[in-house]
Amino acid sequence: MMKQLLTAVLMILFLIMVASGQELTGEDIIQKVNDTMNVDTSHAKAKMTIVTTSGSKRTFVQESWSKNKGEKNLVRYLEPRRVKDQAVLMLNNADDIWMFFPRTQRVRKLATHAKKQKMQGSDFSYEDMGSGDAFIEDYVSKRLEDEKSEGYDCYKLELTRKPESDLSYSRLIIWVIKENFVPIAIDYYDDKDPSRRVKRLVQSDIRVIDDIPTAMKSVMFDLNDNTQTELEMLEVKFNIPLDDNMFTERALKK
Amino acid sequence: MKKWVFILAKWVFILGVLGLSWSSLAAQEKLEIFGYYESQAMGTGLQGEFYQLFTNKLRVDLKSDFSDNITFAANFDYIHYLGKTEWNVLDFLSDDVTSTIPEDMQSLYIIAFSNDTFLDNAYMKFSFKPFDLTLGKQQISLGTGYVWNPTDVFNIKDVLDPTYEQPGHTALRLDIPLSPAYTLTALYAPEETWEKSTKLLQLKGAISHFDYNIIAVERVWPFHDYTEFDTEYMNFVDVSEKRKMLGGSTVGELLGLGVWAEYAYNWMEKSGDFYELVVGADYTFDFQTYVMMEYYRNTLGKSDYKDYDINDWMRFLAAEQKAICRDQAYIFAQHPATDLLNVGLQTIYCFSDNSVAFVPTLIYSLSDNVDVYAYLNFNLGKESTVYGKNMGNGGLIRLRAYF
Repeated sequence: MMKQLLTAVLMILFLIMVASGQELTGEDIIQKVNDTMNVDTSHAKAKMTIVTTSGSKRTFVQESWSKNKGEKNLVRYLEPRRVKDQAVLMLNNADDIWMFFPRTQRVRKLATHAKKQKMQGSDFSYEDMGSGDAFIEDYVSKRLEDEKSEGYDCYKLELTRKPESDLSYSRLIIWVIKENFVPIAIDYYDDKDPSRRVKRLVQSDIRVIDDIPTAMKSVMFDLNDNTQTELEMLEVKFNIPLDDNMFTERALKK
Repeated sequence: MKKWVFILAKWVFILGVLGLSWSSLAAQEKLEIFGYYESQAMGTGLQGEFYQLFTNKLRVDLKSDFSDNITFAANFDYIHYLGKTEWNVLDFLSDDVTSTIPEDMQSLYIIAFSNDTFLDNAYMKFSFKPFDLTLGKQQISLGTGYVWNPTDVFNIKDVLDPTYEQPGHTALRLDIPLSPAYTLTALYAPEETWEKSTKLLQLKGAISHFDYNIIAVERVWPFHDYTEFDTEYMNFVDVSEKRKMLGGSTVGELLGLGVWAEYAYNWMEKSGDFYELVVGADYTFDFQTYVMMEYYRNTLGKSDYKDYDINDWMRFLAAEQKAICRDQAYIFAQHPATDLLNVGLQTIYCFSDNSVAFVPTLIYSLSDNVDVYAYLNFNLGKESTVYGKNMGNGGLIRLRAYF
């Protein structure tokens, strides 16, 4: 009887520990974040609004498709007319990038350093938009003390750039919602100075779409320039059939 | 007689594409109409005067998808010029060159800008799984170079403005995807006879993180002899000749740098063979500054500037050949000063005559669909060189509104 009681107590303690997530390491959590973010296929339409230091706004609408958990990506601009039909194809987790310029009908292959460039002058770089397994492949994760962020109970992680990585940020601090493993906020630190925060991403309006928890709104704050860019999802679909032929130079020019 | 038959055939071809397109358009619900209006002012200080040329350009594009497989696209351009619309090339050249020209011919070296309305592109594209067929007047972009493209026998870019759109060319183009990474392209650009028409074959592929292509072209190259005037045609004597070109290009990444190279060897029917070579590299720093360098060699260009003659200058300025000097370098740096403003500096250096041009640039976004592009150009080389002081210093400002 005593033995059964002890087993039951141990079981309850174990379940409490599991429920509170104490057993999860930083690597476990970032793996779950990666699994949540990188669904097999996706198709989205999004509106990007840049708010400049002077307060004026620039708005872009883009359509994107991804396959193989983000290994293949295609982004095509729909608005404004100035950039309509410009498109970016990223393959092999963005190690291969091609850009299509409709006015000159020219496709230009870009080196990976182009990921550091601002997307249409916004506060998002191509690198910030995330591709494949960057959180796992390029950073070492360490779990910090749990914190509340943006009203959610969160795991707090510190990601330190691996020496062999050429990504732009020396480290990241990420707040991950315990309930669904959505990264609700990310702080980005300077390439050379790991103590200097340069950008902050805040996500909101989490909805479950095709069983995937999805942040419908993301705002990137550039803390150096005091500007911000908002990315709002207009339509999202997950796990839809996408042909491999969509992710070719031929399709890029369509 | 034969010539007229081919001219007629060419027009039937263009009008056929347009006719077919318009008749199908009538049945369409969705025809996209868009384009831009462009207002441009250009100025140059020359011989103590500052000359100005103003341009108004309206481009109207039409586009319609007849089905998932068939697309029609076209654009009409109207260009209106104002200001100094006639430029005598001799005003830019040194006495060494102009003194070789008889006095009664000195008024013939005029480059004129006259108002123009034209059909720039009009084509139909048929896309099916085994091939893409593009029929009609279309842009043809070849090669990986940014400023110079040795394998592009159709276009010559403006060194000061290399990303400006190029004109359309009437052609039948067939692209056959052999695999996701490999494409075979065959192109036929008709002229008055089969012999004078352009034939092109290209294989594009990828190995690791490098794209490459191999290209073979046969084309009649339009050349003039600018020392002899043909009074029957009221133009300089046409000395066009057939050119056979074999070349290739590649683009990829090496040690973190974007790198590209392009090479073309040209066998000429009458004049001497020559080759062109481009190698380039670019990089984006973490602080967002983008830098690019390109080296260009064209053995049609002269290695000693004292050998530049009137034919070299005219063929270069009339865009019949890509360079007058043999070896050049282009260096470009650009930085986003704010989220709406990009500032840059282009430097073009000619190794053959030690001349250099500095071209500070500016791109500003006035609104979602209106932007401003401007540059100043300072030619600092000595007289008679390609970027010499006598070419004048000036600049350009261009406002473009998209609709």
